Amino acid sequence: MRTQSVVFSKTFQEKFILLFKRMTTGFVLILIALGVHAQEIDILFKGGHVIDPKNNINSKMDVAIVADKIFRVAANIPASSSKKTIDISGLYLTPGLIDMHTHVFHGTDPNSMTANSYGGLQADAFSFRAGVTTVVDAGSSGWRNFPLFKSQSIDRAQTRVLAFLNVVGHGMLSRFDQQDVNDMNPQMNAYMLKRLYPNLIVGIKSAHFWGDFTSVDKAVESGKLANVPVIVDFGEHTPTNSIESLFMEHFRPGDIFTHTFSEINGGRESIVDEKSRKVKPFVFAAQKWGIIFDVGHGAGAFNFNQAIPAMKQGFMPNTISTDLYNLSMNAAMKDMTNVMSKFLAMGMGLQDVILRTTWNPAQIIQRPDLGHLSVGSEADIAIFNLKKGNFGYMDVRRTKISGTEKLEAELTLRAGRVVWDLNGISVPEWKMPAITN
Amino acid sequence: MENARNYKLIFIYEIIISKNMYKLLKFKKPVASIFAITVMAGFMSLSSVFIVKAQTIDLLLKGGHLIDAKNKIDRKMDVAITAGKVFRVATDIPASSAKKVVDVSGLIVAPGLINMHTHVYAGSKAGFTEGTSSQLPDAFAPRAGITTVVDAGTSGWRTFPDFKAKIIDNSVTRVLAFLNIASGGYSVDKAEENIAEMDVQKTVETVKKYSDILVGVRIGRYYGTEWTPFDRASEASKLLNKPLFVECHLPMYSLEDQLNKMRSGDILTHAFENVSERMTVVDEQGKVRPFVMAAQKRGVLFDVGHGGGGFWFNQAVPAFKQGLWPNSFGTDEHRTSMNSGMKTMLNVMSKYLNMGMTMPEIIARGSWNAAKSIQREDLGHLTEGSVADIAVLSVSKGKFGFVDSGNNKIEGDKKLEAELTIRAGRIIWDLNGLAANAYK
Repeated sequence: MRTQSVVFSKTFQEKFILLFKRMTTGFVLILIALGVHAQEIDILFKGGHVIDPKNNINSKMDVAIVADKIFRVAANIPASSSKKTIDISGLYLTPGLIDMHTHVFHGTDPNSMTANSYGGLQADAFSFRAGVTTVVDAGSSGWRNFPLFKSQSIDRAQTRVLAFLNVVGHGMLSRFDQQDVNDMNPQMNAYMLKRLYPNLIVGIKSAHFWGDFTSVDKAVESGKLANVPVIVDFGEHTPTNSIESLFMEHFRPGDIFTHTFSEINGGRESIVDEKSRKVKPFVFAAQKWGIIFDVGHGAGAFNFNQAIPAMKQGFMPNTISTDLYNLSMNAAMKDMTNVMSKFLAMGMGLQDVILRTTWNPAQIIQRPDLGHLSVGSEADIAIFNLKKGNFGYMDVRRTKISGTEKLEAELTLRAGRVVWDLNGISVPEWKMPAITN
Repeated sequence: MENARNYKLIFIYEIIISKNMYKLLKFKKPVASIFAITVMAGFMSLSSVFIVKAQTIDLLLKGGHLIDAKNKIDRKMDVAITAGKVFRVATDIPASSAKKVVDVSGLIVAPGLINMHTHVYAGSKAGFTEGTSSQLPDAFAPRAGITTVVDAGTSGWRTFPDFKAKIIDNSVTRVLAFLNIASGGYSVDKAEENIAEMDVQKTVETVKKYSDILVGVRIGRYYGTEWTPFDRASEASKLLNKPLFVECHLPMYSLEDQLNKMRSGDILTHAFENVSERMTVVDEQGKVRPFVMAAQKRGVLFDVGHGGGGFWFNQAVPAFKQGLWPNSFGTDEHRTSMNSGMKTMLNVMSKYLNMGMTMPEIIARGSWNAAKSIQREDLGHLTEGSVADIAVLSVSKGKFGFVDSGNNKIEGDKKLEAELTIRAGRIIWDLNGLAANAYK
């Protein structure tokens, strides 16, 4: 039967029918394509200034969204092709921001720092209103409590929440738990990363360790097993450990030094010499070699005495992040746009600031699907208003500098959906109906 | 998270400040006796100068425009703070008498704002009670000029002690609360509707025991037709002589019946909602229903209770024009309202500013009116001797949009922003570093 039918299909009549079918299919496809042009864009952002560092875009462009994806980025996309057009002239459109250092494992353990505790905050309460669509939790959880973090916080958030896994199994429970070298298990960390949660965990965190390099080395060992970067808060060593040794002997290129501009008396060595106010030469060498310097502002880790001389001498951090947690939220940090605006006030250009909050962090956490507006990528978008005026920006010692610009998040899109609209630019105007008697 | 040392430093710093406060408090009596002696000696004119100079002011807010509804002040005034209290309110208090002076010229100085409708029993459970739908008070209050939040019945007599221990006692923001007549609080399951658990006596006992925190009784979320839950909540509030706070999700009770059962001083929240579960305050012809106006006249209070679905321009604007004004600007703060048209209490207040309410009328409703309605007349004003809870606000000029729960907007040219928030004399929010020293 089978042979017969094959022979039969080769008759002239069958060939004609096949050809007709193919033509019809082709015609339908053309119709679909035309339809897309006619009216298949869901949201069209018109007239904005697009900054997309990955794609080298820094100019006036329109951005079209279909469903949850970027459909087109081009000059002058006709408004007639879109169901909804939002005029964003005078505003900046960028990829949704990535805040690479946050603590969002909220919960109710009163004895914990940021693991399942009040120290950790709800991502959604701070992200969208600052143009952030992805936050990376910096080691609040370890392999033992990551599943709780996931069910309690990650799965309930609209914000995309990724995580660095703490090298310590219990994560950031108490200060003492974090000293337990017996709870630093590279093999378990690698399993979590490679076998269980490869889409959520992006690296390993080492923090708050009082001893030698054990915590860092265990983190790097975990990182090697799972082929991911480590991020290190090197802040509580007494006496201090050499950061040159950390960068050049313990880190691999791609590993991350956070709280870059911290200056504290003892506990951690600074990158800028406290007397000469010169950036230590090995710091430039380390960055050139591929070591990543993250801001991680926090409540105690951003000092103008470090940041301003460093910037003046040509040292720029690779990523700008907040270290959001309960003590930093109302202090000098405030939110991601405030930290970014602080860098504008220190002289960093807007494009450099956006690079350090989008494509740079995306590459560092090995998520090249994020942090850009390439066609086909998920439509995570931030739209900013660059306010002009007199603004003040503080560091953790409550000294301030003044600036003339401030970023404000006007509209935030997460996977094509409006999740923040400060001034209602995406909604219609309300008109008072006439009162009928 | 960063260095432990830093935190310890912050902690030690705070201890030093509070110790100094105690020292100053102790110092008050001798100063008072010196004052009495001085007065007796007949050096009255000299004495006041002497007192101000002798008693150092901790923080002086200079050059701001003070709006204090209780004290009927709406003009340029300096405000001096000592030991967590308002020490003096006057024109031109000399800067030399203060340890720290903050120039607030061009800004509005107001009593710390009171958010009448929040859900702050935050935790890790699903829903509101110790849940992820609730928000931590300090995460949204200081940055909006709010120094006091009132929780709208997220806890009941069974759960309140836990709420107090975990959230209220650990927040910088002052947290007050309406106790839910439902024993567990604002759950999202059927437990909240268990009438057997709605215990008037236990509710009354709990409110009396924690009378410094609990300001009234709340009824909300009951899908049955019996009036027992409402009546019990009302009875408890009567026994306590405190307000009844009527929230949402009571679909079987008609609005008219609810209002008829409410006494003068009771509060209806979500006043301007337009949802299927409750009759709107404005009828289909755009007129405020007569029985609603009658209730307002009788003394029933209306709270905005904005939330994710509780504020509609097609209600609020006609109501405002016809004289149905909110008495307070509760935001109904929770996980889904925070990023919607609500955003912050200042955003809600700015809506009314652009709808035509004057600034003094707005500040009154954000502070003194709210305080009076919860019988906390110690709050919401800057009378000398009162706690120094203060909001310093700026009014931005520009082109702004304000969104309602129906996703419609009105445009406006003014918007409030919190520059500085002070709680019991301590700065808990400083947007532009007004109180900071310049970097050198």
